Amino acid sequence: MALLELVDVTRRFGGIIAVDAVSMRVAEGEVRAVIGPNGAGKSTLFHLISGVLKPSAGEIRFGGDRLTGLPSHRICQRGVSRTFQLTALFPEMTVRENARIAAQARHGRRWQPYGGGAIFGAAARHGDAALERLDLTHVAHRPAGLLSHGDQRLLEVAMGLAQQPRLLLLDEPTQGLSVEETGQAVETLAKLFADGGLTVLLVEHDMEVVFRLAHRITVLHRGAVIADDVPEAVRANSDVQNAYLGGID
Amino acid sequence: MDFLGFLITQCLNALSQAALLFFLGAGLTLIFGIMRIVNFAHGAFFMLGAYVGYSAVQLTGSFWGALILAPLVVGSVGAAFELAILRRLYRRDGNAFLMVTFGLTLVMGEVIRLTWGVAALNVPLPKLLSGIVFIFDEPFPIYRLFLAASGIVVALVIWQFLERTRLGLLIRATSQNAEMVHALGTDVRLVRSAVFGIGCGLAGIGGVFAAPLVTASLGMAPNAVIDTFVIVIIGGMGSFLGSAIAAVLVGFVQVFGTYYFPDLALALMYLLMLLVLVVRPGGLLGKEA
Amino acid sequence: MTSPRVLLVAALVLALLPLGLPLYAVTLLIEALILGLFAMSLDLMVGYTRLFSFGHAAAYGLGAYTAGNLLLHTDIPVVFAVLLAGVFSGVVAIGVAWVCTLATGVSFSMLTLAFAQLLYAIAFKWTPVTGASDGLAGIPRTPGPFGLVVFQSKIGFYYLVLGCLIAAFMFCRSLVASPFGAVLRGIRENEAKTRSLGYNTRHYKIAVVAIAYALGGLAGALYAAFAGFTNTELLFWLLSGQVLIMVIVGGAGTLVGPIIGAIFFLLVQQYLSTYTDSWALFFGLIFIGFVLFIPQGLLGLMTGRRASGAA
Repeated sequence: MALLELVDVTRRFGGIIAVDAVSMRVAEGEVRAVIGPNGAGKSTLFHLISGVLKPSAGEIRFGGDRLTGLPSHRICQRGVSRTFQLTALFPEMTVRENARIAAQARHGRRWQPYGGGAIFGAAARHGDAALERLDLTHVAHRPAGLLSHGDQRLLEVAMGLAQQPRLLLLDEPTQGLSVEETGQAVETLAKLFADGGLTVLLVEHDMEVVFRLAHRITVLHRGAVIADDVPEAVRANSDVQNAYLGGID
Repeated sequence: MDFLGFLITQCLNALSQAALLFFLGAGLTLIFGIMRIVNFAHGAFFMLGAYVGYSAVQLTGSFWGALILAPLVVGSVGAAFELAILRRLYRRDGNAFLMVTFGLTLVMGEVIRLTWGVAALNVPLPKLLSGIVFIFDEPFPIYRLFLAASGIVVALVIWQFLERTRLGLLIRATSQNAEMVHALGTDVRLVRSAVFGIGCGLAGIGGVFAAPLVTASLGMAPNAVIDTFVIVIIGGMGSFLGSAIAAVLVGFVQVFGTYYFPDLALALMYLLMLLVLVVRPGGLLGKEA
Repeated sequence: MTSPRVLLVAALVLALLPLGLPLYAVTLLIEALILGLFAMSLDLMVGYTRLFSFGHAAAYGLGAYTAGNLLLHTDIPVVFAVLLAGVFSGVVAIGVAWVCTLATGVSFSMLTLAFAQLLYAIAFKWTPVTGASDGLAGIPRTPGPFGLVVFQSKIGFYYLVLGCLIAAFMFCRSLVASPFGAVLRGIRENEAKTRSLGYNTRHYKIAVVAIAYALGGLAGALYAAFAGFTNTELLFWLLSGQVLIMVIVGGAGTLVGPIIGAIFFLLVQQYLSTYTDSWALFFGLIFIGFVLFIPQGLLGLMTGRRASGAA
């Protein structure tokens, strides 16, 4: 059974069709990459799934429930966590506090206006576990704003993970990283995904990253799906090669 | 016949009101659009304009002289303030501007009080503009006609200035991409000082226009600030056309509202602002929410 | 942060001060503590959530007029009257906050100012309830059925004010250290991120505004009972500005800083006004100076703290 299901999802901005009748099914435990040339609609697709934007048409279903039209904080509460293309953290909080507040959001009494020892304890456990999986424990007490760019991108992933999501949306996790930082990040993520238990939807520009991490790839071009297959097949797909002007290899 | 006269005069009234609001809103939108500074002191510059206008009339005996002198003085004060103080804050976040311009409001209010005293000051009109004219048998002050006309003229002048002149082009470019303008060789800092000065000058001229109507008084600043922000919120921050439309809208609401619901006049304007915020949080034509 | 030991000492000092001071100094101290409570309430919004209000005088005035009316027209003892006035301000604030949080940033600030001006205008017109431009006068400190006449004396009232301040302070401390407070901090540092983590940030903002207004209202109510009168000055935008200055100058985001700021403000006002009529001018300049050069505020200076993201 597909965990995430998109049926003919469309988004228009005035006369422009950013996402064009996209249908896809992501199985539980799968790592799915969404790729495509600039302007293909990848980030818009993420905004639609996470609730930042509403679809002009089509349906989004998550675990059988309807997600279409729900506000973003509700979607998050249903178990969909996401990271952003432009790093967004709490710069003056420590890394540990960042992860903790992400985890706190899933707690039933996250709004409690007094005390909170038990709530903070439970959130810290999930937060610390996430930091560990992303190899960030050694910087746990540093203010997030002082981390290297690579570690900041990983912290964002850790914050998503700390929410124990059923679906994790990663929007260009290696954006802005140097070659070396990208390599390290990819290895950490590969280890994370290999542990299993996570369903991940990943937008990426870097092909090496995609082929290293993804189980399946969906290719978008001008808002529409032009390929949806395992990596080797996508690599060989001539439509995809044409879309990228000059092929992938 | 009576009703037609009434309707037309009230519309003209609303337009004259809109003109005043427009002077305020245009200046603030200009400053915000280019510099992302929220000038809380805008009402104080408006007030300064009224007082300087009063003194200019006393000195030169000419209201026309005041119309020219006051915005120059007020604009210079604004530009000087930007140079001395605001420049240091561009690296900090927006709230610092809010705080500092608020402090400036207090300082200016006190300086004005010390210089001109607490009594409200009357600014007399030149013979040409005083008196009434009859529109469909309804009396209507000539000054308000002049005000409404001036508002339209200034709006057109600003529009053409932004669209057609080199400085206007620089200003528009800076609002979109300051770094690029800088890279192309223009001293962006000068543009910013100029814009802040022009914005304050506009507020100042609004003050001169308003003075004969409401008299120059110390209570002008907070109300002017609120009026200005209502205009800019409704029209949308950074949208020049938006301020113009909002000014007209609020002018009409104020004039007709005061006539039909005199006690609710103040509340009506806030209700309008609320309505716009609920329906379109970014303002009617806003570029930023 | 100021340690518990320092705070305990401060509380003790404050508790013992009136026994050794002349009566006029106690009056000044009462005013300082009331303003301190007022400023601390604003700090919850400004310092902890980065919600800049230019209309906090609305809370003060609301509390003052409510308490004034309760004390003048009912037999409710002064202690309950001020507490009720605070609660009432908080409840009204829920509506105010609901509207103001429709906007963010400077639009939010302007909406708070607009509401304060609206209340100011209403106070001028609604003569039966507010006494219009004369305000309310002759407000008694009703003892109530248990004969709590102790609050009718100046020293007695001082301890009421001190008690309220300490209780409010402990409440605020607990609040900002709680999970709710952690979310406020998230909103302060990056509201968009906080929303994307699944928090309905608008609800939190409304809640903190309501609490801030409740405590600000309590301060206003205490003032009304203390001075025995209210007037429209309590709703005037100048007061909103002054309390904001107290918060920034004292040190935003610390709870204690604003209290220090309030004391500083009163002392400077007292000192300067003996020399010159235009102490407000100097205050504006001091304020600008602090924003430019000492953003961490007085408390920050004293404890060697960097400025937080608040200013």
